[in-house]
Amino acid sequence: MRVSCLLGLCLILFSHMVLAGAAQSGTSIIFPSLNKQPNLEGEVLTVYGAVNHRVISPLFQAYQETYPNVAIHYIESNTRDLYEQFLSEPNTRPDVMLSPAMDLQFKLANDGYALAYDSPELSHVPKDSHWRSELFGFTYEPIVTAINTDILAGEALPQSREQLLNLIRSKNHLLDDKIGLFDIQQSGLGYLAWAYDGQQSRSYGRLLEAFGTHQAQLYTDTASMLDGLLKGQIFIAYNLVGAYSYQWTQKYSWIKTIMPTDYTTIIMRTAFIPRDAQQVTLAKRFIDLLLSPEGQHILANQSALTPISTKVEGPFSRDELSKLPHGIFRPIPLGLELLIQTDDAKKRLIYSEWRDAIQPVLNRKK
Amino acid sequence: MTKATTSIRRQLILMVATVLIVINVVALWGAHIYANKAAKESYDRLLYGSALQMAENITILDTQVFIDLPVSAFETLALSASDRAFYAIMNGQYQVLTGYKDLPNIPFTQLLQQSSEKEKFIPIYYETMYHGEKVRFVALGKRLLEADSVNDVFIIVGQTLDARRAAATEVSQMALQFVALFFVITLLLLLFVIWRILQPLQAIKQAITERSPQELSPLEAKVPSEIAPLLKSINYFMAQLDNTLSRLQRFTAEAAHQIRTPLAGLNSQAQNAIDETDETLRQKQLQHILESSNVLTGTVNQLLSRATLTHRYQSHPFSPVSLDHVIKETCRELVVWALERQVEIEYLGDIQVTINGDEFALKQMLQNIIENAIKYSPKGSVVEVELMAINERPDASIRLQIRDQGVGVPDKDKEHIFEYFYRSPDNFASGSGIGLSIARDVAEHHDARFHLKDNQPTGLIVEVIFPQQKGLSYES
Repeated sequence: MRVSCLLGLCLILFSHMVLAGAAQSGTSIIFPSLNKQPNLEGEVLTVYGAVNHRVISPLFQAYQETYPNVAIHYIESNTRDLYEQFLSEPNTRPDVMLSPAMDLQFKLANDGYALAYDSPELSHVPKDSHWRSELFGFTYEPIVTAINTDILAGEALPQSREQLLNLIRSKNHLLDDKIGLFDIQQSGLGYLAWAYDGQQSRSYGRLLEAFGTHQAQLYTDTASMLDGLLKGQIFIAYNLVGAYSYQWTQKYSWIKTIMPTDYTTIIMRTAFIPRDAQQVTLAKRFIDLLLSPEGQHILANQSALTPISTKVEGPFSRDELSKLPHGIFRPIPLGLELLIQTDDAKKRLIYSEWRDAIQPVLNRKK
Repeated sequence: MTKATTSIRRQLILMVATVLIVINVVALWGAHIYANKAAKESYDRLLYGSALQMAENITILDTQVFIDLPVSAFETLALSASDRAFYAIMNGQYQVLTGYKDLPNIPFTQLLQQSSEKEKFIPIYYETMYHGEKVRFVALGKRLLEADSVNDVFIIVGQTLDARRAAATEVSQMALQFVALFFVITLLLLLFVIWRILQPLQAIKQAITERSPQELSPLEAKVPSEIAPLLKSINYFMAQLDNTLSRLQRFTAEAAHQIRTPLAGLNSQAQNAIDETDETLRQKQLQHILESSNVLTGTVNQLLSRATLTHRYQSHPFSPVSLDHVIKETCRELVVWALERQVEIEYLGDIQVTINGDEFALKQMLQNIIENAIKYSPKGSVVEVELMAINERPDASIRLQIRDQGVGVPDKDKEHIFEYFYRSPDNFASGSGIGLSIARDVAEHHDARFHLKDNQPTGLIVEVIFPQQKGLSYES
């Protein structure tokens, strides 16, 4: 009850506004301070994030309960837009950056844009979930495949990439235009997951080939991809973020989420405080909350994001995650290895492979 | 009292501690340098390894440089978990093909030189500031060969210094812990050794403290050879002291005896005189009392004069004394007393000598010797006193002889005659037996030698030989 009441208090401003300079779209939401005295000039914490505002708002509410004078300005955008906006607009940098695109976040931290903060809460999270006290991983989320079971027609649900390829082969033309992928050139997270597949698996080449021959549909965000899955525009969605997909599965029983059993890529959503943050103290408090058992508990219970901490309990805790069928968990390391994902030459190679396989589809569509 | 100015123990501890501290500081400094060097070298190798892995994956195809960096290159860099890393791949025209576009201070001159020399590329290491932090870079060239064209690319990889600093600090701290432990253990051992070495000195001190004041027997203690001479000296000194003490005891007992015997005689003579009714006999007895009293007076005088002399030895410094003058004066004083006994004193000698000495003591010596000579001279004889210079010896000296014509002293008595209160059993003349002893003491006090010789045909020669002293002369 309390939560919905608070939500009601929030003036949720959905405004698809054009962000200055970068000319990229984002959603700007203001969570006003809980203190209702209008004459009190409150402080504003600005957060840029590639996390759905509905998912992250329980954390903001918890923050505002502790600091009722603080208003939160949240700007939601896709990972690559966030990154580019951060670099192109040095004057309007946020107080906290949240993104699942580990490579882009890491690059910013490595290039010295992040402020070092030895949060006392770091003791509650695993050692390899943060880098140099600058970049903090706060979730532990699988990259999954979602399948609309209507396509199966009695066949077994594929559990691995190999079985997925077999399914695609057997269904053949039924799957033309019916496979959904992240456009790796548009989505930072999509590129990260795809490039990591390239390092891990031998099936990578055959997957690319299969996606190409079946004219895979390209999406820039999870929501629209899942929407397509629901509406029957696509039957298979590859490399989705688990949290959203599992929510969909809960709602719609014919949509199944699979953690591939050959290996399951794990990504961390990361946060950092930019060096040019206006409200450093507020930002530090937010990081503290994010990593604290309390914040991690909110993630595991209200946000439906698997938290990084192994200690908290809840329906989305790491314990619960590991009870689901899955392959070897392969967390993408939060370290200098990520630099390879941001390498221009590497990117050109992957893009060119990608274009060679997928582009004919795009051309044909147009 | 002697003042303890320095303590051997304190000096040893101080020196040992100083040496240890110096050694340990040097060791620490060395370890620090080594730690830095080792950390630098190992992390340089990682850097170089990463650059090599990158270089391996750069190829050329149809004049197009083809770069596919391996993850392992970055995994190698990620071994320093908390360091930032930067890299760039550049072509011969210094265009950045991939990586960071604004790396500073790239050593193009050296790279170009290596490039033009057409030899094997060797890595160039350098440190520079980038993004506000000190970064160590390695620059490495790679030659790409295709048909007849040669293309060089340059790989620059850099990393911040946190990991190497941490590694160096860790090694330094380990060294510090080790050195501290080593220092404490060595110091304790050395303190024990010092205590052990000084133990014999402590033992001697203990042994002396525990003794009763009367106990003067030699100390028996096991001591190292370095301390043995000290113990020997202490024992020698104690033996001397023992000797002196026992002589003093004997002297005191003898003196008491020498005084008591005549006193007892006086007492009985006086008693007899009181009882005597015959006036003539009483006169005679009173005469005896007077004589006995004179002898006693002589003895007491001698004892007193000896005590005085002993005191003078310690309190009076020497001064120049005209020896011939003193001798003549003494002879003159005794000549009347000698004539009463019908003995003549003859002074022979025509030199004038000045020596450093105590005039009073010398006079006592002369008096005692001459009196002794007169006492034992038969009536009508002559006592000769002669002072002469001896020049034959390497060190010239002064010889004084007092010769009498009495019965002399048998050889068996000569060695005892200087003992206090010694009276030859064949000697019936009155005397205290102390005079010659005093004379010899005085002579020895003046570094002179004292001899007894036989005179011809009979009699005794007392000879005193003074050493020639510097700065004092005699003339004929």
